[in-house]
Amino acid sequence: MLFRAPAAPVAAPRWLWLLFLLGLALPTQAQPACTLTLSGLVTDHESRTALPGATLVVLETQQAVQTDLDGHYHLSLCAGTYRVQVSFVGYAPETIELRLNSATVRDFRLHPHAVLLRGALVRGERVAPPTTQATATLSGQALQTTRGQALGEALQRLSGVTAIQTGPGIFKPMIHGLHSNRVTILNNGVRQEGQQWGVEHGPEIDPFLASRLTVVKGAASVRYGSDAVGGVVLVEPQPLRDSAGVGGELNAVGMSNNGLGAASGTLEGNLRRLPALSWRVQGTLRKAGTMRAPGYYLKNSAFEERNFSGAAGWQREAYSVEAFYSQFNTRIGILPAAHAGNQADLLRAVGRPRPLETTDFSYAIERAYQQVRHEVGKLTASLRTGTAGRLRLTLSQQADYRDEYDKFRPRNDNRATAGKPELSYINRTSTGELLWEHKAWQQFTGSFGLAGTYQANRYAAGSRQFIPFYTNKIGGAFLIERWQHGRWLLEGGLRLDYRDLAVRRGDRDSTGVFFVDRSRFRYLTPAASLGATLEASPHLTLSLHSGLTRRAPAANERFSDGVHNGMYELGNDLVPGAAPLTPETALNLGATATWHSNPRFNGELTVYQNRIRGFIYQVPLLPLVQTIRGTHISWQFLQTDATFRGLDLSATYLLTPQWQLALKGSAVRTRDTRADEWQVLMPADRAEASLRRNWSGTAPTSRLTAFYAQVGGVAVARQTRVPDNYEARDLLAPPAGYALLNLELGGTVHWGRQPLEIGVMATNLLNHRYRDYLNRYRYFTDEMGRNVTLRVRVPLNFSH
Amino acid sequence: MVASSFRPALLALLASASVLSACKKDNDDPTPDEDNEQITTLRYELTPVGGGTTLTAQYRDVDGDGGTPATITPATLVLAPNTTYTGKIVLLDETKNPAEDISAEVQEEDDEHLFVFQTSGVNLTVSAADRDKNNLPVGLATQAVTGAANATGTTGTLKITLRHQPGTKDGTATPGDTDVEVTFPTAVR
Repeated sequence: MLFRAPAAPVAAPRWLWLLFLLGLALPTQAQPACTLTLSGLVTDHESRTALPGATLVVLETQQAVQTDLDGHYHLSLCAGTYRVQVSFVGYAPETIELRLNSATVRDFRLHPHAVLLRGALVRGERVAPPTTQATATLSGQALQTTRGQALGEALQRLSGVTAIQTGPGIFKPMIHGLHSNRVTILNNGVRQEGQQWGVEHGPEIDPFLASRLTVVKGAASVRYGSDAVGGVVLVEPQPLRDSAGVGGELNAVGMSNNGLGAASGTLEGNLRRLPALSWRVQGTLRKAGTMRAPGYYLKNSAFEERNFSGAAGWQREAYSVEAFYSQFNTRIGILPAAHAGNQADLLRAVGRPRPLETTDFSYAIERAYQQVRHEVGKLTASLRTGTAGRLRLTLSQQADYRDEYDKFRPRNDNRATAGKPELSYINRTSTGELLWEHKAWQQFTGSFGLAGTYQANRYAAGSRQFIPFYTNKIGGAFLIERWQHGRWLLEGGLRLDYRDLAVRRGDRDSTGVFFVDRSRFRYLTPAASLGATLEASPHLTLSLHSGLTRRAPAANERFSDGVHNGMYELGNDLVPGAAPLTPETALNLGATATWHSNPRFNGELTVYQNRIRGFIYQVPLLPLVQTIRGTHISWQFLQTDATFRGLDLSATYLLTPQWQLALKGSAVRTRDTRADEWQVLMPADRAEASLRRNWSGTAPTSRLTAFYAQVGGVAVARQTRVPDNYEARDLLAPPAGYALLNLELGGTVHWGRQPLEIGVMATNLLNHRYRDYLNRYRYFTDEMGRNVTLRVRVPLNFSH
Repeated sequence: MVASSFRPALLALLASASVLSACKKDNDDPTPDEDNEQITTLRYELTPVGGGTTLTAQYRDVDGDGGTPATITPATLVLAPNTTYTGKIVLLDETKNPAEDISAEVQEEDDEHLFVFQTSGVNLTVSAADRDKNNLPVGLATQAVTGAANATGTTGTLKITLRHQPGTKDGTATPGDTDVEVTFPTAVR
């Protein structure tokens, strides 16, 4: 029981107290002269990323040091008063005066130099370790402009990333045409495990936690496990504060379309008396009313969210320990149009210009809703193993509670009063990972890891079965080595996982007698990867990556059966006449060219091919499944072979120092090679363009700095590459293409010494009516109309 | 060195993570969903007013949603021409043991329920013979009147819908949700 989630937060304070008392008990020794340390961290003021290689000069003594790779510096001085100058290419130098009587920690946040703003921002981004795989990152201001949105919605800003959507509240990230069981999400280093099987189950993550969202596009199974066939989403919070003081930030977001209001606050600190101890608390409230499509309100489309998290860390040179706990709570209304009575009514509801039932604006969430809670408890420890490297241990416990209420109130009054959900799931997952990163040897760096998962999925007694009881055990080992020489980097990895899935499924035979069907699936799933990166010139990087992965089918792909959220879903192994699923084998190839660090033109082009043998996918099931309540939109899982080929493009061009043009686009072509036709439900081609004006030349004393205005457009084509004879295979043809106009303004207002970052964004400015092929509501309703969002971020710093 | 003494301990922790959380409870089997409401069976029993054999049309789906499809017996409900029948609806949940009588529950809450009978391609008129406390029709008890026989070789349908209308019942089919919707092929011969 040690690793059950609730145990972690309870255990943490007691443990911290002990350490705290220990710290107080240590005798404070008088420092001998001239060994007083002045240390700290140099970061970019905007993005807070560390600046390695910044220079610090003590003007009195002309002592000079450079910050290390993490942006830290360290000086030894005698007691006295000094002027210290900090400088870094692309940033305005700063000089401070300070009196030194004891060891002092002093951080610097450098402002990008006004004239060099563009170039400096590029340099200010954290220098990620070179990878041979295509990745895309959302951080700093770009991330700020997505505040208030769901995680999957925010990620759509990245080229090659789309979302499978269920109305305005549920977005499931889709990378290169793959989603759900094939996209691994790492929430603060913990693999997100819940009831992710449902397309209408958004990731249970508070995006306000993150200071960076990174997407690895393409298979990354060696490092993250065999489910990462399509890619990985990394939700990374800011590292815990490592300099004395208390800081934080407040975020507030308001949206005009659905009356969304979101408020999030973070408070973090590091004790001067106990510099090894850092802490952070964070909380978010988010609530939205009914969404407005052009001309009408979408019935029961409100949602609400309440999240909080806390972390505490103890950091020393040789070791560090961190405990983290987070809780995510949401309630999301489900459109009643999906719950039609009979086939004729349903077919009439499908494809109507507007749904039969519309509503006035309201924050009320009525029946047909989901109520979800997700808890994560995590403990990480890192230990320097002599000079050989570093050992990292991550243990986590997650619990996911998902209750789904049908639109229909139980007919029996006693049951209605009890108010129990019709579907009630509990998923508990324990994961452990031990990673040893060895120090560079010759030109080799690398890591070796062991990983284990234990997962149990149950539904509450008395609720309806949709996914059976299952227990999933996974154990694996992996090795990743990098070889760097001159302009070349080679990376190769191997992984082997053993997976054991035990399923117990309740069913009724044709005479209605209940029985339990037990089955067990055991697989060895290997993964291998090989990649190379070449720094062809200081401005051009070329990468090539290949990955081979085997993925075992998940319980939902085999055995889902029943109605939830008004739709009927059926697993492959229950489809009459279908062969049981076999593991998928994916061969992923990708090439990326990055043209970077140029004064004017920068860009990236990725081309890829993903060949998946035994590709498991969901298709509309026709004829529609009939129950005594009527007819439901129905889906079933099938297996085939598929080949994905696609490209992602992003480019920026600086017309003048103030004007910037940006372009983004992605396209994917997916063939079902077994049936020799296009694959169903794949993202349509999309392109984005924007023109931005920066008023970066404003004097730093001005009340308004870093002001910008941007006008942009998004265009999505009609998906014409669909399976043959589509009319007979889906209820509705893919909707027409659409183009939307967006507008964005932002800047930092200085209110006394307190900066306020303010942004206004208008999306779908022309209130265009459209539907998206990948939204499950597309059968019934249009997408969101015009929406104006106001965002305010207030960074707080109470130190010094 | 601290490191060497730490490592096996960490490994043991990692290994124990899965063992510790494997509770006994994880070996439980799923149980029938007793609390969850299901309607598996609808029977419409028609007895000629002047006496004679009772005819029964039945929709039955005992394994619940999906799985084996529901069976409708008889394949066609055949009624005599120009006859008046007394109709009675029986609703059952046969997944429970003994089978739960849902029609009795509907009777208890008859001011929240309405059966709607719609015919197509057959000379049959069904009207409710019972009233709730607000004097609105219910439809558990009905009177069915047939007209002339169907043209040779043609079959029509009788659709029975149970609307659940808590607090909104007004005698029409519009408010509320559908609890049951069943269509029987029907002919008058």
